[in-house]
Amino acid sequence: MAEIILEAKGVSKHFGGLKAVENVDMEIYRGDIFGIIGPNGAGKTTFFNICSGIYEPTYGEILFKGEPIRNLNPEQIARKGMARTFQNIQLFKNMTVFENVRIGFHIRTKTRMFDAIFKNKTYQSDEEFVNEESMKIIDKVGLSAYKNTMAGNLAYGIQRRVEIARALALNPDILLLDEPAAGMNPIETNNLKEFIIKLNAEGYTIAVIEHDMKFIMSLTNRLLVLNFGEKISEGTPEIVKNDQNVIEAYFGKGKIAGGENS
Amino acid sequence: MDYYLMQLVNGLSQGAIYALMAIGYATIVGVVGMVTFTHGEVIMIGAYAAFYAFSFFAENLFLGIITSFAASWLLGIVIYKVCYERFFDSPRHIPLICTIGFSMLIKNLAQIVFGPNMKAMPQPIDLGFINVLGVRINTIQILIIVIVISLSTILYIVNSKTRWGIQLRAVSQDKKASALMGINVQRTTMIGNCIGCGLGGVAGMLLAIYYQSILPTMGGVLGLKSFISSVLGGLTNIPAAALGGILIGVTENLGTAFLSNSYRDVFAFVFLVLVLIIKPEGISKKVGGRP
Amino acid sequence: MISNTFENVKKIYKKHAKIINIVLIILLLIIPRLMPNSYLMGIVCRILMYATLAGSLNIINGYSGQFNIGHAGFFLIGAYTEAILATTYGWSFWPAMIIAGIVTSIVGFLVSLPTLRLRGIYLAIVTLGFSEIIRIIALNWTDVTGGPMGIKGIPSPELFGFRISGPVDYYYIFLIVGILFLFITNRILKSRVGRSWISIREDELAAKSLGVEANRAKSANFMYGAFWAGIVGATYAPYYKFIASDMFTLDEGFNILAMVIIGGQGTLIGPFVGASIATLISEVFRFASQYRMVIYAILIIVMMWWRPQGLVGAYDSILAGDDKSLKKRKKSITQKVGDN
Repeated sequence: MAEIILEAKGVSKHFGGLKAVENVDMEIYRGDIFGIIGPNGAGKTTFFNICSGIYEPTYGEILFKGEPIRNLNPEQIARKGMARTFQNIQLFKNMTVFENVRIGFHIRTKTRMFDAIFKNKTYQSDEEFVNEESMKIIDKVGLSAYKNTMAGNLAYGIQRRVEIARALALNPDILLLDEPAAGMNPIETNNLKEFIIKLNAEGYTIAVIEHDMKFIMSLTNRLLVLNFGEKISEGTPEIVKNDQNVIEAYFGKGKIAGGENS
Repeated sequence: MDYYLMQLVNGLSQGAIYALMAIGYATIVGVVGMVTFTHGEVIMIGAYAAFYAFSFFAENLFLGIITSFAASWLLGIVIYKVCYERFFDSPRHIPLICTIGFSMLIKNLAQIVFGPNMKAMPQPIDLGFINVLGVRINTIQILIIVIVISLSTILYIVNSKTRWGIQLRAVSQDKKASALMGINVQRTTMIGNCIGCGLGGVAGMLLAIYYQSILPTMGGVLGLKSFISSVLGGLTNIPAAALGGILIGVTENLGTAFLSNSYRDVFAFVFLVLVLIIKPEGISKKVGGRP
Repeated sequence: MISNTFENVKKIYKKHAKIINIVLIILLLIIPRLMPNSYLMGIVCRILMYATLAGSLNIINGYSGQFNIGHAGFFLIGAYTEAILATTYGWSFWPAMIIAGIVTSIVGFLVSLPTLRLRGIYLAIVTLGFSEIIRIIALNWTDVTGGPMGIKGIPSPELFGFRISGPVDYYYIFLIVGILFLFITNRILKSRVGRSWISIREDELAAKSLGVEANRAKSANFMYGAFWAGIVGATYAPYYKFIASDMFTLDEGFNILAMVIIGGQGTLIGPFVGASIATLISEVFRFASQYRMVIYAILIIVMMWWRPQGLVGAYDSILAGDDKSLKKRKKSITQKVGDN
């Protein structure tokens, strides 16, 4: 069995009386395309925010590559090799695509003020590295045509790609994608799926939040299903698809689902 | 010992004025949802309005309260039109800088119109002293505390019992939802802003009576102190802001009793830094607003 | 329209950057020969000094999106540090200037410390309070700062045995400081460090998710801005030969802020434009500082209404507001808020 890269142990997050996430366990193995699904308001994004350090869990522990990270803040976790995108795209809207991606290289470069002032070797090699690698990533994600376009002026689907490109610049061990297909048309969604599979084949471990069942069932190799903040099912798409709890959560009790009651 | 007790009483009465300023400030930030730098100038205008009312009409305290409240209310309308109305969707720093500009404008216009020098404030009530447990308490101090408590009570009743108050609270919680509920958000926000300004204006008058003098540049430090008092309540919590004002008044007066009077304004700042280090989000959870 | 003109100028500049820079520098170097009038040179000196000072504030407000409104406090620390070192301890100007910069930047670090985790408005209040407190301390700590009398007889700097005095000589000092500031700052802004500052200004959450240590970057940014405020303060003290606490009031801080806002935040040229405009206004209203401040105030409000990024500010930034057109913005408010 492969190495566990991201593990949640009994993670809960309460906002006052609201239990947004309640006692969730999760294991993501290196090389997975891991899906987190659930109806709207199931706590998926909250759970992602806990994993990436934006929230501290009320209870429980998060282990990233075996290290506890519950007390770390987002930038420290990013430095450890976790990159993410956001549900409501957080691009630098007033910067070009190229500039957006360049900032993604922050942790892989070392230039300090001193280096910049004297334009010494560190500065030069960093700049060269950043510019070359940024172009490579932009090509890979298929954004070459938009290289110098202001990110805020791009179409929604393309903005999502820019966000993924920027996250890839971190060369992460795991990539968390928060609803990457939201607002995309079927063709774009399909392209995105192929792209994620390609990335996975290149060795990236990927976790995806989505509420579109079809998309996620054909994409992932393992799934976690949340409802009202609690884990209701886990396993391969086949197992989850036939899980009575999941069917109830998505379609309600009784009638249509499964067919046996109708 | 008596000396310190007296300083404590001084601190309480001055703290009551600060509390009134801070109540006004927290009301504004709560309803408008933006932080303002104009509050000091609002306070100053309230003081000057009372000054002219006393000089031209009668040295009547009630008249002073009405005039200062009304003058600051009017200024509140202008502030709303200039600094807030068009900026609800903009990045936060834009209305903020606008209030800084407006505060500069009022302060310097006041120096041109009112004259740059300090003036003696007429005293609407006779100075007297009462002995309580061996501490001489000024009648003005008692009056200040009475006025501040009555105004806060009125504000509390308006806020919790009247239609206006309910609208105000709704708007400070969520502007969009209030609009959907049929509340005229723009007008309500403006009224909330004006109420806060009016309270600040009365505080300005009380302060002028307390110090027996007014100055066009008195606002700067007072605005700062209003903000600092409200920090204790996360900028929007009114009772906590009032508590903050009282604490600052007491700290200042006890502090100057130990140290020199020239360092008076330093204490508020020290208080601010302490609050920020120990309890940056204030003593209560933030309710509504998006300052 | 302004941004178009500005864009075109920028394009032309970028094409021939080297030549234009050299021509500019030569022009700047021979200005005193063309204009030997010491009154005019005094104005030019003030413009240069304020341009650098406003530039140092622009580093903080314009590039990292922090909000410092008590810049006069840092200016004061630079000036007093140099003046005290030069008069009480007999230091020569140059090391005193460097020390003044370092001291100011350390103070800047301490000031930014309590508010790092909080929203920007708290930094604004802390800087404002700091500026007033440091002035009160300078006014009352008579043993060190001379109290209300200020510090007199600050010696002029010497360079290679040549005594620098009078506006024409000082012009070169202010010019060198200004050029150094622009040169160094430009290099930093075009590196990883500057990019991280701008990323925080544009979207702090996104910057953090990319591993930008926002608190550290903000502190570094604040220290760097304060450093230059200290350097300018240190050159200011011997130029006027006398400093007192009332030269560093909150109004002076707002004055510097006005330059940055009017000229433009987030560009290197903006503060220079702002400083020129503000200095010329203050020359016209020399005998009525209130009128001068009234005009600044109106200009600030006008800028916020119609051009939030300032005359030549970074239009392609969050500083320019979300909606570029005002009509659109007004419409969206009425839509959201409803006009019942």
